[in-house]
Amino acid sequence: MDPFDDDLVEAGPDDRYFDYCLEPYEPRRPWRGKLRAESLLWAALRIADEREWLEAPLRAVSTAVGRDLVVWGLKWDGRRIGLELYFYDPRKEDAAATMTAVGRVLEPWMKLEPQVRESIPYFMASLEPSADAVRAGRLEAMRLYLAGERGHAGRSYRLDASGFELENTYRFFDPRRDIEDVLALARASVFVDYGDRRVLAQVLPPELMACRKVCIAKKRRADGVYFSGIDVEALAWFLRRHAWPGTLVEIVLRHRTRFEHVWFDVGVDVRTDATSGRIEFPKSSFYGTM
Amino acid sequence: MQTPEGRFEPTRFEELTITVGFRCHSACKFCIVREGMNDFRGVPLERFASLAADNARHRRYRRVVLTGGEVTLEPALFDYLAVARTGGFEHVRLQTNGRRLRDAQFARRLMEAGVDEFFVSLHGPDAATQDLVSEREGSFDEAWAGMCNLAAMGACLMTNTVMTSLNADRLADIVERVAPLRPVRMEFWYYLPMEDVEDRRDLLVPMAELAPRLRTALDRCVAHGIEAVVKYVPRCLLGEHGDRLDNAQPDVVIAEDFYEHYPKFSCLWEARCEHSEHCLGLHHPYVHKYGWEQDLLVPQPRTRPWRAPTWGPAAPVDRPGRRHLPVHPDERAEGHAPWRALVEGVAERHGARLAEVLLQRRACVFRFEIGDGGVDVVLTARSENGPALVRTASFDVHYRNPSGADREACIALVRDAARAIATRDPGGMRLEARKGLVGAEARRSAAR
Repeated sequence: MDPFDDDLVEAGPDDRYFDYCLEPYEPRRPWRGKLRAESLLWAALRIADEREWLEAPLRAVSTAVGRDLVVWGLKWDGRRIGLELYFYDPRKEDAAATMTAVGRVLEPWMKLEPQVRESIPYFMASLEPSADAVRAGRLEAMRLYLAGERGHAGRSYRLDASGFELENTYRFFDPRRDIEDVLALARASVFVDYGDRRVLAQVLPPELMACRKVCIAKKRRADGVYFSGIDVEALAWFLRRHAWPGTLVEIVLRHRTRFEHVWFDVGVDVRTDATSGRIEFPKSSFYGTM
Repeated sequence: MQTPEGRFEPTRFEELTITVGFRCHSACKFCIVREGMNDFRGVPLERFASLAADNARHRRYRRVVLTGGEVTLEPALFDYLAVARTGGFEHVRLQTNGRRLRDAQFARRLMEAGVDEFFVSLHGPDAATQDLVSEREGSFDEAWAGMCNLAAMGACLMTNTVMTSLNADRLADIVERVAPLRPVRMEFWYYLPMEDVEDRRDLLVPMAELAPRLRTALDRCVAHGIEAVVKYVPRCLLGEHGDRLDNAQPDVVIAEDFYEHYPKFSCLWEARCEHSEHCLGLHHPYVHKYGWEQDLLVPQPRTRPWRAPTWGPAAPVDRPGRRHLPVHPDERAEGHAPWRALVEGVAERHGARLAEVLLQRRACVFRFEIGDGGVDVVLTARSENGPALVRTASFDVHYRNPSGADREACIALVRDAARAIATRDPGGMRLEARKGLVGAEARRSAAR
């Protein structure tokens, strides 16, 4: 038996399907007998040797906030897999989804050190729990996401002991109907040199532009591009393109017919390397809910 | 086009392609089944016989296309042709490299066996070009002799040129060379890399270089009165020849995993362009090599709202030599008669009109117009527990896209149509979810 079979979680009749903005969607295909996207979360944490440290706090958070209502993001910088959890409550309706409440849930494993003023109108917040954080018994930072603009857009602030710092701004688009806006915002870049006509296709590859939503982010050290609503074949292409650990790619491929009902979300940080002039992707990520 | 929902490409659902075998005596550099030659199995004769028998009953396909590999190398080819004659097909097309047709007696036997359309590969105007492409010395001379034989016999000759970096500057010369043979049609297909997606063979030619040469070749076709068809080139690059774009492909029976490697297409201007339902844009290997060409491609502004596709468009009847003539209403009405009969009289009872019958691979769509709106009644293959308005002997019946002010009239029409289909469905009408070869039956090695 494959050790990773333990990580596979079957889809159930009460599952709800959300994208990484916690917007609901209809599964692409019938889900019966198939797998929840969180199977890949557990497999990735096992590959990163972090599962034993993180499983208990993650399950506690999921129980407190609600099944399927916690968004997870797995990040890969070519060396290690990292995790970020996202909590949405744009209307401030759910006391369990505030950072103060999530911090209380996590406290047995890691103390959330920054104290957030809950009157800040954040619609989303995120944390980066890790084995190191559990070993240290504390989480030093969180992120808050605020809107306030027309359309589907926002900006994120990092909060730690030194205070708030603006980290990025971002905007969502329909990749087909809003294509002029996508191109305009993507090309308005200090980090990516679009002089070579092939660069645009590297940043917006056709395999991922067949998505449901695209998001362009402007960050402090790179641009970010996110593709929401891709199928498992595109996810596998994405993971291979960004050289994720082969074991994880194999799991996706081996079980691809059992992930065919899921829309996945992926993203990259992108910039032009000043020395070589080549496009580089210092970070890639994919998302699901648990 | 590739969308979140999948691939949507125009398909000629009235045409069935049978991959007879996967052996070839040429080795064209661009071949989409070079590796498949070592592995794929052709469609077994008994499988084709079953499809033909089904077609004889339900007249789903008007044309059968036999292809390979090189179909003329198939020892049982005349058995396949005998089966084709029993299948109720109006046309039998042979897709061939033409080399064996140099034997006039063999070519005549093929005609006598029922082949009425020869679709012959021609990738250069001379031996130097074509033999370089086919990697077989003498292949051009043999194919040319074969085409001359067909012309002498008065056969329906069509040519197919795959456009690569090896022949992009010879397209007009190809037209000039073949024009004296009076081909009914010349087709020009942009190269689809399936096994060399990174184009290590350097066969992909940039559209900016290809397009003017292709337009010149199309001008020559017009001058010679030869019908021309283009595939896989963005329509906006064809200038006044835009209506020669026809990306439709038939229903193909082949190893299913063939399509896992089949290039996907996209265009950044999909939602902007009037022609995006039928123009595919650029294939992904091209985009990776040369970029999106977002400045070269110029969308024609849409006159109707763009909707994300949920069904692939069905291509119209293919009529070699008559492509640009309007289709006579009687000719359209004849199509798919047994399918049309399922709802005969329904529209009239409701003051409606059956505007179209779209017989697709996985669905039959009856498109009704009623009042200021309409509704589609859709048949899919019968399931045991899938959602359906009504389940008949062969089908699950659904409806979609009801529109117009009189919703009650729409509902009454759908109910009547569902009743009529349930009553008239004889059972056994085929809407297969999967028609290709899968698993061991698809593989030569596994079949041993």
